[in-house]
Order: sequence, then C-alpha cells, then structure tokens
Amino acid sequence: MTALAPLRTETDQRFAPARMRRTVLEMAYAGSTVHIGCAFSIIELLTVLYRNYLRYPENNPLAEGRDYLVLSKGHGVMAQYACMRELGWLNDSHIQNYFKDGSELKGLSDSRVAGLEVTSGSLGHGFSVGVGIAMGLQRKGTDQKVYAIVGDGELNEGPIWEGALVAAHHRMDNLMLIVDKNGFQAMGSTDDVLALGDLSAKFASFGFETLEVDGHDEAAIEAAIHQLWANGLGKPKALIARTVKGKGVPFMESDNRWHYTRLNAQTFAKAINALGLTGATK
Amino acid sequence: MREAFSNALVRLALADPKVLLLTGDHGYALFDEFRKRCPSQYINAGIAEQNMVGMAAGLARVGFRPFVYGLAAFVPIRTLEQIKLDIAHDHLPVVLLGDGAGFVYSHLGTSHQSTEDIACTRAIPGLEVLSPADRFEMTACMDYAYAANGSVYLRMGKSDRGDVHTSPIDALQPGSLLKVRDGRADRPGLIATGSMVRTAVDIAQEQNLTVWSAPTIKPLLIDDVCAAARASTGLVTLEEHSLLGGLGAAITEITSEHLPTRVLRIGVPDQFSKHCGTYDYLLNEHRLDSTTVARRIYEFVA
Repeated sequence: MTALAPLRTETDQRFAPARMRRTVLEMAYAGSTVHIGCAFSIIELLTVLYRNYLRYPENNPLAEGRDYLVLSKGHGVMAQYACMRELGWLNDSHIQNYFKDGSELKGLSDSRVAGLEVTSGSLGHGFSVGVGIAMGLQRKGTDQKVYAIVGDGELNEGPIWEGALVAAHHRMDNLMLIVDKNGFQAMGSTDDVLALGDLSAKFASFGFETLEVDGHDEAAIEAAIHQLWANGLGKPKALIARTVKGKGVPFMESDNRWHYTRLNAQTFAKAINALGLTGATK
Repeated sequence: MREAFSNALVRLALADPKVLLLTGDHGYALFDEFRKRCPSQYINAGIAEQNMVGMAAGLARVGFRPFVYGLAAFVPIRTLEQIKLDIAHDHLPVVLLGDGAGFVYSHLGTSHQSTEDIACTRAIPGLEVLSPADRFEMTACMDYAYAANGSVYLRMGKSDRGDVHTSPIDALQPGSLLKVRDGRADRPGLIATGSMVRTAVDIAQEQNLTVWSAPTIKPLLIDDVCAAARASTGLVTLEEHSLLGGLGAAITEITSEHLPTRVLRIGVPDQFSKHCGTYDYLLNEHRLDSTTVARRIYEFVA
C-alpha cells in the first residue's frame, strides 16, 4: 500500500487552530454549553486531518468516495463543528444559534448532521462503527481511509477492545485509531480513575502499527500519520496523541473543571484574548 | 423452520452480494449451507456482540446489507444500545436475528433465555419487530425483512412446533394478522405469535375458536386488531414472552384506545425461570403449557 499523499497546498489557510478554538468558544458561549476542554485537546489533530488528509470529493460531506472521520469521543464535537465551519458546511447562524430551541447541532455527535459520521457520546460506539465502515471499504477494494478518534477515558469501554481485535484479525490497514490522550476523563485523571498503562504497547500487542506523537504539533502529527500509512502492511494503525485537555487557553489547560464549566462574559472574553488571534488566523 | 431460515438467507445472499451474515460465534450447523455457498459473505465476528452490532452499522453505512445473528439473549438484549444508537437511529438496513428466544435453551438457565426482547425492541423508534410461527411465516418474514430495507428485529423462538399454515404466504403485509383458523363468533378469538400459535391452534380445535397469528408485532395494524375484536367476544393473546410489553401489551394498547375489549393476556409472568428442565417443563413452570392455557381460556370463555 502506498502512503497517502498529503493534500495541503501552501496557500490553504483554513483550519487554523486559534480560529477553530475561537469558533468553539463562540459556540460554547452562545449555547452556554460544556465540554470545551474535550474539544480543545483535538483541535490540532483535526486541523491536520481536515487540511492534509481527509478527502471530500467536490467538498461534499456525503460524497460516496470520501474518507471517514469517526468522532467516537462525541464530547469533542464542537471541534468538528469548527472544521465544518471552515469548510463552509456550517455558517455563522449555526454558531450563534447553538443550543437554541429547534436548532440542528447537538451537544454530542449526531450522524444525521451531514459531516458527522456517527452518533456518539455514549462511549465505545463510534469505533465499532468505524471498524465496520473500514471492513466495508476493504471489501469494496477502495483506497478510502477511516480515522476514528477516541478519548483515553473512552478506552475504559469494552467494545473498543473488541473492535481492536477484529480490526487486526481482518488486517484493516485502511483504519487509523487516534487516541486523544489528554489524561483526563469526566471525574478525574485517567490514572486515578482507571489506569490505562502503556497504550502504545497495548495496541502494538493487538497487532496495530503504532506511533506516539505530540498531539498539538501539526508537523509532527502530519508526519506520523504519513508514516503510519506507509508502514505496517496489513495492520490497522494506532496514533497515540499526547494532548492537553483545554489546550490553547492557559487557564483551562489540564484543569478538568472545563469538562463541565460554562463560560460567562468575563471568562469568554479572557479566553478569546488568550488565543492571541492575529492576521490570517483571525 | 430453521431450514426455511437458512434457505431464505442463502437465496437472498446469492441474489445480492451486498448481503452479509455476521455471527457472534453462534449458529453451529445452522450456517453450513450458507458457508458452503456464500463463503465470502460469512463473517464470524467473534464472541464480541457489541462490536459486531456496531460493525454491522458501519457496513450498512457503506452500502452492505448485514444480517446479524445471535441468541436473543445477546442480539438484541446484550446489544440493545448499539441497536438503538448505531442502527435504528439512522434507520440503517440491518436485520437483527435473535435465535432461541423464550425458553428454547431450557436447560441452560437465565443467561440464554429471553422473554424481554419484544418489549425492549418495540420501544426503539422505527425498529420493526417480526416473530414468525412456522416455516411459511419464516420465509415471508425473511423476504419482508430484506425488502423493507430498514432496521428489523426478527425473533426466532422454538422452531420445531410444526406448521400452522398450510401453504406459503404470498407477501407479508407488515402489521397484518393472519387468520389461521375460523371458529365460533360467539366466543373469544385467539391472537398468538411465534411458538404459541401452535398451542393456540391446538386449543382452538378443541374449543372451536378463531385463531390469528401475528408475524409482525411492530407495526400492528389497528384495523386488523379491531376487526379481530369485532369478530369475537373478547380476545386472548398468547406469547412465549413477558406479559409486560409484548404482543398482549401491543394488542391491549390498541383495543383500549380504539375498541375497548376484554382481553386475557397469556404470557410469561414477571419472573425468571427457577428450575432446569425440558422445554415443556419450563413452559409448565411459567403456566404456558397447553393444559393450563386451555383451562384459562375455557374459564375466560365462561
């Protein structure tokens, strides 16, 4: 299998992390919602995936030949909305009316929204659906790829490990599991709640081609994904991304209260200011 | 009945290469023919039912037509949330096959018995629920489940109770009651599903009662239920399933709203099996044996 060539052109200014974080903050403030920290930890991962790897023929979120991004950790959905805004799939009205009565976008991933592939939030579901999509694409013999983002807390769920066995057994080298290893779950640190041990070793032992990466270093993420697709013929891929929950806004970083805390006028302004938006990213 | 199931599955899979059979390491012997004739469409997903059902959703999302097989205790019960969220939520074309429903695995105890599956699946929005009684209904249900192109649960209970129909069913009309025999109009009519249709027919012959079979429990046509109620003096429902939420509940939901009718519900009381024993022994334990059922219907008539 040949490595997937990155799609980026030097002029592509879309998916700038700071601007996407601003979208998340705007939505969270407009809708008075939670899960900001969960969205912030996957921003750079999504930047690289959308800018460099995910193929949507004719910019159509439902195009038959597309790659699939399965957000199994549905709690990060605002980050995906931010990407969809960059793509023009969502507009300002979607952002401003987030959580208003009758609005379309929910607080967790809902597959009836074009651009979201699975309904998740109940954890441990999306990855299995992604494994099924990968199996279907494999049977069709296409070169489409499936990326499934799971939280490290989500790895507590049994079906993740069932799916990992199946993916390796069926040699699904069109599937990449990306672990958002931000070290926290709802009620505390993953080490305190249910220690995960050495994730790279775990997935390697399941038969995955595995790499660890700094989940906020765009160049490193891009290179790691490239390398995973290039190596390990016949093996599913696992990218363990070390991330920071709440990344990008210092007072939210690794403060698990931002799993559940809502913004007020002051914290919203302070957070926007902390993003340091300038020039092209504005 | 199991042969009819296997034949239908093989026929559908040969006609449509998108048909896939997923099993959670169950179906010994049952799938011999399928594995021989459609080997590439057979997927043993391992003893990992939750992932299997999620995976079926993924396969359906990219154009396949999965039939997911498990014991009813696992598909749908163990995997109910995957069915709700991954499949029914988007009305994906997946057929869920729950085998051994009721007390088929009488010697194995509660883990392998399922008397709550209809109640649980009925309440999932958009999910259709089928419950064939004999080989003719099985064939019709399989054909319908494929043609419906949506999310369907097909319940397979005790399969060796013999035919209740005398000839194939042309095309299953979802929600229709199928009249199995005519009886006296001045007595109650029996509406049964699955394994209990045979019991109903045997009793009806002695007491000269009309019998309808309900191969689809959801949907259920209001007109058909009301017509059955009008054609008799009260109704008796029979099912190898809990009294809560099953066929009897579905019928009384309709009659209470549209045509108040006296209904005797015969099914499994709110209890687990206590003992080990033959299928007949367990029916007896749950008061579903022919003698007890016949007496209860007789008393209801009186």
